[in-house]
Amino acid sequence: MTTITFDGNMAVIKVKAGRLDATAGPAFKADLQSHLNGRANRALLDLHDVTFMDSTGLGVLVSLLKMLGKDGALAVAGAQPSVRRLFELTRLDTVFRLTDSVDAAREALSE
Amino acid sequence: MNDHPPLKIPARLEAVAQLADYLRASCADAAVAPQAAIDLELALVEAANNIILHGYAGRSDGTIGLLVRQGEGVVELELTDFGLPMDDGQIMMCRPFSLDDESGRGIQIIQSCIDLIDYRRDAGVNCLAMTKFFDPPAPTDILSAG
Repeated sequence: MTTITFDGNMAVIKVKAGRLDATAGPAFKADLQSHLNGRANRALLDLHDVTFMDSTGLGVLVSLLKMLGKDGALAVAGAQPSVRRLFELTRLDTVFRLTDSVDAAREALSE
Repeated sequence: MNDHPPLKIPARLEAVAQLADYLRASCADAAVAPQAAIDLELALVEAANNIILHGYAGRSDGTIGLLVRQGEGVVELELTDFGLPMDDGQIMMCRPFSLDDESGRGIQIIQSCIDLIDYRRDAGVNCLAMTKFFDPPAPTDILSAG
């Protein structure tokens, strides 16, 4: 459900599942833990394919930010309306950088 | 209020998407405002997850019932289960958001998405009613959507 590639110290993570919820969340977190393992301090998370996310999925994104370390940065590309609404309700849109495209997310992380 | 036929699912996390699919189809049939439909799905999924993880707490024989009622500018969801009761006032409890918590946001999300919340337990059945109001579409919008 996930592809993870590295561009220097930036992890580029593409979630291919339609729902990032309490069913898919634990496997997604395990994937991140096994691949990142201190290799990145920035992450570009491509959520174009994710049409729904619940608080479990959101919790995995918070853990991802922690995996990136104290100065880590996470940019989210392509959050669909329901996912964007969840970020806003929980105020995590103030923590993650939300962008419309992968290119914009890459640019945000290079600032 | 119009009732859709009730849906019952096994109380397992992988079955929660069935509730969401059912709700989405019901909202589409009744031209519920897209933003309201999003909020209802977010709240429904959080409530169902809570029932499975805390109400049934590992029991594999539980079920969850969903009834969707719709009126003009209003949708009411009624979730029923036979698990452990919620603590008094838990669903209305105000808890501060913490940005770095990895869990514990479910009830906050429900409260943010829903206009009226009512929980009661009667004869061993938990019943959580969640009501969402929205601006109904103008008749011309309905005609052009059809």
